[in-house]
Amino acid sequence: MLISLNWIRDFVELPPDLDPRALAERFTRTTAEVDDVRRIEVRACGLIAARVTKVAPRGSAPDPRLQQVTLEVGLGKTVETASIAPDLRVGRIVVYAPIGSSVAALGDIVATTVAGRSSIGLILPGEAIGVEKAFQEAIFLSDEFQPGQPIPAELFDDWVIEVDNKSITNRPDLWGHYGIAREIAAIVHRPLIPYPVVAINELRDTKLPEVPIKITDPRACRRYTGLMVEGVPTQPAPLWMQLRLGHVGQRPISGLVDLTNYIMLDLGQPMHAFDEAMVDRIEVDWAKDGERFKTLDGVERTLTRGDLMIQSRGKSVALAGVMGGMQSEVSEATTSLLLESANFDPATVRKTAHKLGLRSEASARFEKSLDPTHTVLGIQRFIHLARSMYPRLKLTSRLSDGFPSPCPPVTVSVNPLHVSRTIGRDVPLDEARRLLQPIGFELTASDTHWTVGVPSFRATGDCSIEADIVEEIARLIGYDAIAPTMPRVSVRSFAPNSLHELEQSALRYFTTAHGFNEVQGYIWYDAAWLRRLAADPGPCVELANPAAEGAHQLRRTLLPGLLDAVTKNRFHFPALSLVELGSVFEKGDRQDGEFRNLGLVLAQRGKRDEDELYARVKAAVTAWTWQQFTRSVSFSATTSAQDRPWEHPHRTAAMTIDGAPAGRMSVIDVSLRRTMDEHLAAWSIAWAEVRLTGLEGLETLTEPLAAIPSFPLVELDFSILVPKTTRYAEVVANLRHFEHPLLKMVRFVTSYEGEAIPRDRRSLTFRTVLGEDSRTLTDADSDAFRNGFERHLKSYGYGLRVS
Amino acid sequence: MDLVQLAERIADIEARAGADLKAVAAIDALRGLESNVLGKQGSLGLLIASVKQFPPDQRGQVGKLLNEGKTRIKGLLDARMAELQTAAHTDNADDAAAFDPTLPGVAAAMGSVHPVTAVQWEVERLFERLGFTVEAGPEMETEYHNFEALNIPATHPARDMQDTFWLTNGMVLRTHTSPVQHRAMKKFGAPLRVIAPGRCFRYETIDASHENTFHQIEGLVIDRDIGLPHLIAMAKTLLAEVMKREVELRVRPGYFPFVEPGIEIDMNCRICGGAGCPTCKQSGWVEILPAGMVHPNVLRAGGIDPEQWSGFAFGLGLTRLAMMKYGIRDIRVLNSGDLRPIVAPARLGGPIVWPE
Repeated sequence: MLISLNWIRDFVELPPDLDPRALAERFTRTTAEVDDVRRIEVRACGLIAARVTKVAPRGSAPDPRLQQVTLEVGLGKTVETASIAPDLRVGRIVVYAPIGSSVAALGDIVATTVAGRSSIGLILPGEAIGVEKAFQEAIFLSDEFQPGQPIPAELFDDWVIEVDNKSITNRPDLWGHYGIAREIAAIVHRPLIPYPVVAINELRDTKLPEVPIKITDPRACRRYTGLMVEGVPTQPAPLWMQLRLGHVGQRPISGLVDLTNYIMLDLGQPMHAFDEAMVDRIEVDWAKDGERFKTLDGVERTLTRGDLMIQSRGKSVALAGVMGGMQSEVSEATTSLLLESANFDPATVRKTAHKLGLRSEASARFEKSLDPTHTVLGIQRFIHLARSMYPRLKLTSRLSDGFPSPCPPVTVSVNPLHVSRTIGRDVPLDEARRLLQPIGFELTASDTHWTVGVPSFRATGDCSIEADIVEEIARLIGYDAIAPTMPRVSVRSFAPNSLHELEQSALRYFTTAHGFNEVQGYIWYDAAWLRRLAADPGPCVELANPAAEGAHQLRRTLLPGLLDAVTKNRFHFPALSLVELGSVFEKGDRQDGEFRNLGLVLAQRGKRDEDELYARVKAAVTAWTWQQFTRSVSFSATTSAQDRPWEHPHRTAAMTIDGAPAGRMSVIDVSLRRTMDEHLAAWSIAWAEVRLTGLEGLETLTEPLAAIPSFPLVELDFSILVPKTTRYAEVVANLRHFEHPLLKMVRFVTSYEGEAIPRDRRSLTFRTVLGEDSRTLTDADSDAFRNGFERHLKSYGYGLRVS
Repeated sequence: MDLVQLAERIADIEARAGADLKAVAAIDALRGLESNVLGKQGSLGLLIASVKQFPPDQRGQVGKLLNEGKTRIKGLLDARMAELQTAAHTDNADDAAAFDPTLPGVAAAMGSVHPVTAVQWEVERLFERLGFTVEAGPEMETEYHNFEALNIPATHPARDMQDTFWLTNGMVLRTHTSPVQHRAMKKFGAPLRVIAPGRCFRYETIDASHENTFHQIEGLVIDRDIGLPHLIAMAKTLLAEVMKREVELRVRPGYFPFVEPGIEIDMNCRICGGAGCPTCKQSGWVEILPAGMVHPNVLRAGGIDPEQWSGFAFGLGLTRLAMMKYGIRDIRVLNSGDLRPIVAPARLGGPIVWPE
């Protein structure tokens, strides 16, 4: 929302030397955020009005728009000048820069030659005099200026303050200059000048007929105020009005359109003018399903019930609160008008505007829930301004008002203790009254409570409870004036969020103990990347409005994202250790689920390092589960999932903790590495993905500690040769059947495959620890144990490796 | 040879070894001497081998003499060995010259957390010290939790403001961490002090300063007589501790349906130092902490009586705070997976020689 400071000065007497930037900063701190403050500095000197007396097109070269224009510049003198401005018709009055005049945008105006003909002075285009939207168009003047009459330079210069629209969505009163002026008046402690309007009684001449107004649904149309007038010939709006509209980003169009726009930007109340020849009575009703309607912008639209229409004699003439219709638009032939000043339900307007993609200045305001009293005030203002523009203006109806259910005034009861609680100090009644009165709130007090009367322009949802009033007081005191103090609080113990704690400690563990680097990726798949990996995403939770094409499926696994990160980093680092912690989503039969996963990837240059990387990932996960839960994680070979190509066809393991599935671990097959990126064919990549959701319930066991043995322990190592096809877990299960009174513990030492043993065998070395609590062991004890253990091994067909 | 002669021979060997020792200056030579005396073919070794020449009834005494002799000689040798070894340590000029304590050790992988995580942890620790509990909520939320429970009914314009990612299952990706306010109130009741870090999602076009996926930390304090001075004090503490400097705050009105009064707390921009830059939209201020007093409807929805309790809430822009703290100018690097802009160079690729 752009605010013209000249406009504000109509309503508040501001000091001439006021710093607009300082004012904007105070406005930001008190009312709403200012995005920008800029100066409009035309520096006009010597501009006059001039009347077009002849227009001759100059043909096609060098610019087909070029015309030779004869202008009457006063005292019967004429000049000839070149112009490309459209709509230069004989009789129109333009802003003219004669030789010797100047504006900042163009410098000094001197005699010149355009395409071989001399051109005296310049018809000024809008952008040269601060009306950006009228680019290369002339600004036309009404008969307020006669040819040759000087145009006062001070009209052109202004300051424009841009208020962030998002910061005033809750403030319908700030969508017009008068509401902004009210805030500024309160900020600078100056009186707000009463809104200049004609007296209501002047509009209530009972001798004039009433405009018939019928409202079908009072919830959708809260109020509809109409008035008929005649004597509004087609002519430009006064220059000051056109310039102000221009400064706040509007393009001047015609006197009548500019006037209704001006009132919308002045009071915040949208207005519409119908040609009375087409619209002489008003019915506000719902559209018919499938109804077709051509709006002002020339587009034919298909409507449904739920779109609110303005109709006249059963014929639709406007989309209520959004846009007028093509048919009933005011034209040069119009002699008599029906003015609409109405109040519509915000949700209805928003729905229609949103559905049709038609967010107009009017709909943007109705969405905020406008003050219903402004319908009448808007018409009073219209007549006030129109009288100075149209001397022959005449009312042809009396003010007609459809207001089925007027809302009672809003009052709020406020406990002064709650005010001091929120603000941190006592606010005496007088102070509160002094703060609230300038913005229209009335305050009366009883023994314990204040009663606050909310002004109608703040009473449409914005201010309805005590906290709203507290806010008004707080912001007017100024948040910067509130002294920071730490609160006095009650101490209590909170049950921890175990999953969050587990997540953070896992992340800390893998990044510190194992040197992983954390990355974060998007929670949706990239369909193109999945296609490249030949991965089938399977049933996914889907976005209705994805951020981009192919970004509609929420991830079920972190792997595609992590593999993308490997690909991105491959040129920059010879080895990568990536960890990601994030949500994954699963489609459910009854309800879709969200889970927290931890993904680990180790990758490095060198295609033969797969086993090493796999072992490192495995060691990291194993050590983590022990650290975290004092529990082991079990690994079992598993069939790789067809739809997840990052699972190696025969090198994928399923992890379980306490028998419950905990995740998967694998290495990336060379064919997939090559698909990811040809350079990765020469890399090795291993990964693990753990589902943390569910593990947070695992109790962390207290790890028992061992006492120092009274007598020395004896360690005996056994290297067992087994076929490579025999699983370690199977060997261990068999070893466990061996019982011996001296055996304290067996540890795994190492596995070996290589030249020292037969090719089809693997050597597994175990260390047995022997001891007796009451004596030192002898050689005979060790020998007896060795013999017994070897017999046990032989019974399973395991050989011993002799070194 | 009788016992007396044996004793003399042992004394001789001992005396000679004692004399030879003094002449030996190298560890290797000392080992040679040891072998010449105590080895199987050494002077004492041969004597030991001759024990069989004595009649069986004397062998006990012979053994004793020999063992004692051997122990004494070994003692002399060991003492000299210790002297030589000490000398070798302290006097070796070559070794001292070759020893470079400034040479880097074997580089160990340092690992790193994401910049947002690093700041998140800092904030979590800070609030834990202040007696807050840490909560979390789902990223896939119900409309109820994301909107209704926060005083944002279906017809409220705020639903337009928050450009929401909708899911085909009728749920949403949460647009803020505020739903955790409601969850925490339901879980704990009042009094309450909780923060809730997490990822949020808004349907926005991505550019250098806008992301559709970002982090917030929700904060909520509910107790007797909580007011704005407490909120502002907490904000100041929080930002100063994270930024490791005094911060200047600007407090201004802000509108969020779930707080009343609603405020925006801005921090002076660190990237440009207040002069104006794209990150602070030329204003010198960065919106960092939307906040306010918890709306009575939100307390009620959470089962807390607004007559008895009052509270404040804030939604710290964690991603933006991380950008401020680490001087990250382009928000897009955070979710890109590229390690270069999110890991300090010293943590990756070995020790940095220059510049430090």
